[in-house]
Amino acid sequence: MSTEIAPGEPIRVLLAKPTHDCHDRGVRLVAKKMRDAGFEVIFMNFLLPEEVIRAALDEDVHVVGISTSSGGHLPLFGDLLAGLAAHGRDDAVVIGGGVIPPDDEKTLRSWGVEAIFGPGTNAEQAIAMIKRRLATVSS
Amino acid sequence: MFDDATLARSREIGSAWEEAYERLVAKFGDAVLERATNATTHSGIPLKSAYFPHDVDDLDLDAIGAPGAYPFTRGNLAAQYQLMNWANQPVIGYGLAEDTRARMDMLAEQGMVGYFGQRFYNLVYDLVSHEGLDPDHPAARGRVGQCGMGVYSKADMARLFAGMDLTQMNVVHITYYQVVPALAQYVALAEERGVSPEQLRGNTMNWYHQSAYVGMSAFPPRQGHKLAVELINYCSKNMPRWNTTNFFGYGVEEAGGTAVEEIGFMLAYGIDLVDACVESGLTADEALVRFGFQIAQANDFFEEICKIRALRRIWATTMKERFGAKDARSMHVRIHTHTSGAVLTAQQPLVNLIRTTLHAFGAALSGTQAMEVSSYDEALAIPTEEAATLALRVQQVIQEETNITSVSDPLAGSYYVESLTNQIAGAALELVQQIEAQGGYIAAQESGWLRRKVEDSAERWRDLVDTGKRTVVGMNKYQTDEPPTANLFKIDPEAEAIAIKRVEELRANRDHGRWERALASFGQAAEALATKDYSELDGSLIEAAIEAARADATTGEMMGALKSALGWRAPHEY
Repeated sequence: MSTEIAPGEPIRVLLAKPTHDCHDRGVRLVAKKMRDAGFEVIFMNFLLPEEVIRAALDEDVHVVGISTSSGGHLPLFGDLLAGLAAHGRDDAVVIGGGVIPPDDEKTLRSWGVEAIFGPGTNAEQAIAMIKRRLATVSS
Repeated sequence: MFDDATLARSREIGSAWEEAYERLVAKFGDAVLERATNATTHSGIPLKSAYFPHDVDDLDLDAIGAPGAYPFTRGNLAAQYQLMNWANQPVIGYGLAEDTRARMDMLAEQGMVGYFGQRFYNLVYDLVSHEGLDPDHPAARGRVGQCGMGVYSKADMARLFAGMDLTQMNVVHITYYQVVPALAQYVALAEERGVSPEQLRGNTMNWYHQSAYVGMSAFPPRQGHKLAVELINYCSKNMPRWNTTNFFGYGVEEAGGTAVEEIGFMLAYGIDLVDACVESGLTADEALVRFGFQIAQANDFFEEICKIRALRRIWATTMKERFGAKDARSMHVRIHTHTSGAVLTAQQPLVNLIRTTLHAFGAALSGTQAMEVSSYDEALAIPTEEAATLALRVQQVIQEETNITSVSDPLAGSYYVESLTNQIAGAALELVQQIEAQGGYIAAQESGWLRRKVEDSAERWRDLVDTGKRTVVGMNKYQTDEPPTANLFKIDPEAEAIAIKRVEELRANRDHGRWERALASFGQAAEALATKDYSELDGSLIEAAIEAARADATTGEMMGALKSALGWRAPHEY
């Protein structure tokens, strides 16, 4: 189980944004703040969900965060969750951010997306959530 | 601007004021607010608490001049809104071509109007097109018609403009880097209707420079720069009424940059672009007369106004002195204002109407040529019909009820406004020097310097918001518990299937031989462009693109050829 974190091991986070989304001011800042908080952060843009799944497996991350501000989030998260599960990585914490309407947020949470950080939230909230969530796993 | 006696008296008055002010501040002791003693603009320019004639003592009256007189600080033309209001240019585009057309017609019905009663349509393409794909690509799933219109071929263009006279309107094609296919498809449609390229009016974005600070997949900077020059070259010969290039200042501020960075980056890029155009054989005047600017209007009310006055001055002086521009239009900064989307909030969305009204008001005072006012629900979804209409009403109320359109550049002569205009101009020129010292805009883009600059500014602002030093009403102050906004706009889920069916039918029914030859020639032109110098650019790529569009080549197919010839990188690879 990769979400078991050994003492002294940094939390590894993959943050990803579709290439054609362009609203990346928020997620790039979150990446920086997470690095400042001591996380190991991989930031990538992607065209297809398979690219994110591959990177999550290769980098053996604890958390996968998708930023999306331009629709298309339902099939994207659907493929991501299914792909992680197919490779035995359904333990990874999946979170989202960007512009996701409330109805879709409910749907995503019912699928297992653990948190959505919408407009107006800040990096500290996401960092605190991840620390809390992973502390529970390792204790 | 003032004689010595006036300046001496101004200093006396100023000193007396300063003493009185400091006495007041002292009374407040530790309770004094930071803005009372240490105010700055959003760009970090220090502000005084009151301004006097001696604050602009280094300013020559000729640097302010008159509306329509060099250096155009006060506006491009002698008459501003007295003869011609700014054009309403709301951004339109969602779903299929027909959905977008319905919104175009609705807004036209509601009074959206360009210059002298002409129709202006500011049309944005969808994310699939922006990535240079067709709707049947796997990455298109869930994105067809999102954030723009699903228009991918000459056939889709025909649906969009069904029954319309293309000679009687101005069409802005808001693409990302699929500039060439979109223009080619529009020109090919026009030809089919007996309209020649020289009759067409409108804009292409031609803004490859924005990949310096906007995180989208893009061509490598130098290849993008060549594409821009190639299009300018073609249009200067064949489309004299077409506005070739949109300087994307807006994107600098939206990505987190400051007002100074916005105009400094634009001038630095302008220098690189005019240099390359001249190298390709054009005169500075031939290239410059068809440039336009998309400029943000955000929250810092006076800085945003002074930024525009400063940009007009430094652009005009640079183009005249450095490039020998002679045509006044070459020195003009033609502005399409876009009110800031980044400062709108998802919380208490109706408050955004107040913000956008202030933005639009500031833009009107600064003397803009066209305006898009963001809709109040933009932080949540694509604007509803109601929200889009209200955004248009903001413009109409300012244009027709406030009487501010009777007087040009009404803030001129304000000691504060002239002083801040000066300071912003000075700071922007300093930034341009820093960029030039690195080899110019494209070089600073390649090294990532421009991106870092903008990201540092974004972080500074965000830290101020997170620590409560900058207020965002409804977000970090005056929050309320509110039910989620109902009535959000949704794209018809059928649109995607229809778009896929259409592109499949197009591929099955077009003249395969002609398409194959045209696309192959376009691919060869793209390969040739990849190794050309600026001096070898001649517009032939655009001619090949138009032939491919005539033969029903899709956006995805044409962009595929460009990507494979010129390279294409995701933003994190930069």
